[in-house]
Amino acid sequence: MLSEVQDIFRDVLDNEDIILAYETYSDDIDEWDSLTHIQLVVAIEKHFHIKFTSKEITSWANVGEMLDCILNK
Amino acid sequence: MVLYSIRFWFFFCALLIPYFTVFNKCAKAQNVWLLLGSLFFYTLVDWRMTVLLVAAIGIFFFLGLKIDALCQEQNEKDASRLTTLAVVLGVSLLVYFKYLGFFVGQFNKILMAIGFGSSLPTLRIIMPLGISFFTFKLMGYVIEVHRETIRATRDIVKFGLFISFFPTIMSGPIDNPRNFLPQLDGVRTFSWERIGEGFRRILWGIFLKTCIADLVSGYTDTVLSLYIYHNATTIILGAVLYAFQLYADFAGYSHMAIGISQVMGIKVAENFNRPYFAQNLAEFWRRWHMSLTNWVTQYVFMPLNIAFRDKGTAGLYLATLINLVVIGAWHGANWTFVLFGLYHGLLLVATMTLDKKRKHFEKQHNLKKNPIWKYSRTSLTFILWCVSLLCFLSPNIHSFLHIFPHCFNKGFDVPWTEESFQKVPALLFILVMMFKDYKDEIKLDLHFLHSSHYWLRLVTTTLLIICILGFGSLDGASFIYYKF
Repeated sequence: MLSEVQDIFRDVLDNEDIILAYETYSDDIDEWDSLTHIQLVVAIEKHFHIKFTSKEITSWANVGEMLDCILNK
Repeated sequence: MVLYSIRFWFFFCALLIPYFTVFNKCAKAQNVWLLLGSLFFYTLVDWRMTVLLVAAIGIFFFLGLKIDALCQEQNEKDASRLTTLAVVLGVSLLVYFKYLGFFVGQFNKILMAIGFGSSLPTLRIIMPLGISFFTFKLMGYVIEVHRETIRATRDIVKFGLFISFFPTIMSGPIDNPRNFLPQLDGVRTFSWERIGEGFRRILWGIFLKTCIADLVSGYTDTVLSLYIYHNATTIILGAVLYAFQLYADFAGYSHMAIGISQVMGIKVAENFNRPYFAQNLAEFWRRWHMSLTNWVTQYVFMPLNIAFRDKGTAGLYLATLINLVVIGAWHGANWTFVLFGLYHGLLLVATMTLDKKRKHFEKQHNLKKNPIWKYSRTSLTFILWCVSLLCFLSPNIHSFLHIFPHCFNKGFDVPWTEESFQKVPALLFILVMMFKDYKDEIKLDLHFLHSSHYWLRLVTTTLLIICILGFGSLDGASFIYYKF
């Protein structure tokens, strides 16, 4: 699943060099800000056919927590 | 009480000595002492409103505990309801003290316009100092508890100190509880290095305030409030100088607040990151009054953007517009502030729309690292900011809109330069301020105030003190952001 999410990140953020890990934080990726965060959420929701709640979206601290949330859906 | 007055320094020293001597073994004792000091400070500034501040602290403390308990019970529905109630309470406080008089005035105008003789009585409500700052902290806290990014603190002293912390209560930075509260768990010890850093930062803040903001204010006040008597060149010069004055005033205050906190071993949020080197307005808002922008982004923009996410780009643009209008309206009860926010919102939408094309154009022409391209963008951003400041300063929208035809009619001529001799040091000091920002921006490791070389630090510090005592305006003028 990490590689699928990584592909989404590369596509949305238009950066082929992005390498994600469970411990990756938004500060680690220049293009990942409050604007692109929602674009990422929309792309992930579409890809996995899921819907996150507002609380989930605002509470993720890093990629690992995002992946846990996808797994729980 | 301004942060560089003699009165403040008596208060600060009286607070600091027991803080590092009598109470230096126990974090809780230090917190109680700082809370008492903060409430005493607020009482000195505005004694009538201390009761309100204490009541707000008590109510939001218990709301935080209740929301936390409901979250732990996984009772999301009631936790959301209570959080909404807390936010409504915070907004109501702000609306009552800051905007109600304005709304009543506008309502009376409408009544008059449609021919109703009777009107609502005019309200004269005293606005508590710092209300825009501490209500945002109160609301931010309960939202964070509800999001479960923090647990509600069970220590009312810590919570009270977070809200009323004296260096930041008047004009921010608006700190996040995730950053502030954990720092109160451990003892803050005396450290020459940290205290020296803190004092140098305070000194830089005093320099910006007294040697730039207060020296320039005479000229900008005269020119921009009486613009009808001046030509276009003078008005442009006034707007540019006001941009530097506002930056020096607010960044100066922020440096002092951050430095004072640093002396006491508490790291508060940064407020400025060299905004006049931003290359577009989106970047500018990430560098200007960062603690407010972060707050509004986290608690207004993000929820809106999430709610509108199915509407695609239109949803993003709408969230951006609302976000910037909120930032504008936060500054005060006047349509000019709403227009100021709307102007920035529309320009941000334009920036986002053109962003891909710009990147493509930069790639095509290899412009990304071209300094002429870079500084042209920086200059355009600065010009757009200066135009918005004319709106920010105008007493009403009509006056703002009148400036442009007025400039066109009066034309360009030699600028008015009364008291020009007094302004020369201020202009030199603006260059010093921008030079420091430039050095920090390109990371040449020449932070003259924070250099690793003792002698360089000593010489810079001494020069700053000489400038402040020799040229600074030491009449204790209030900070611009105190009125917000």
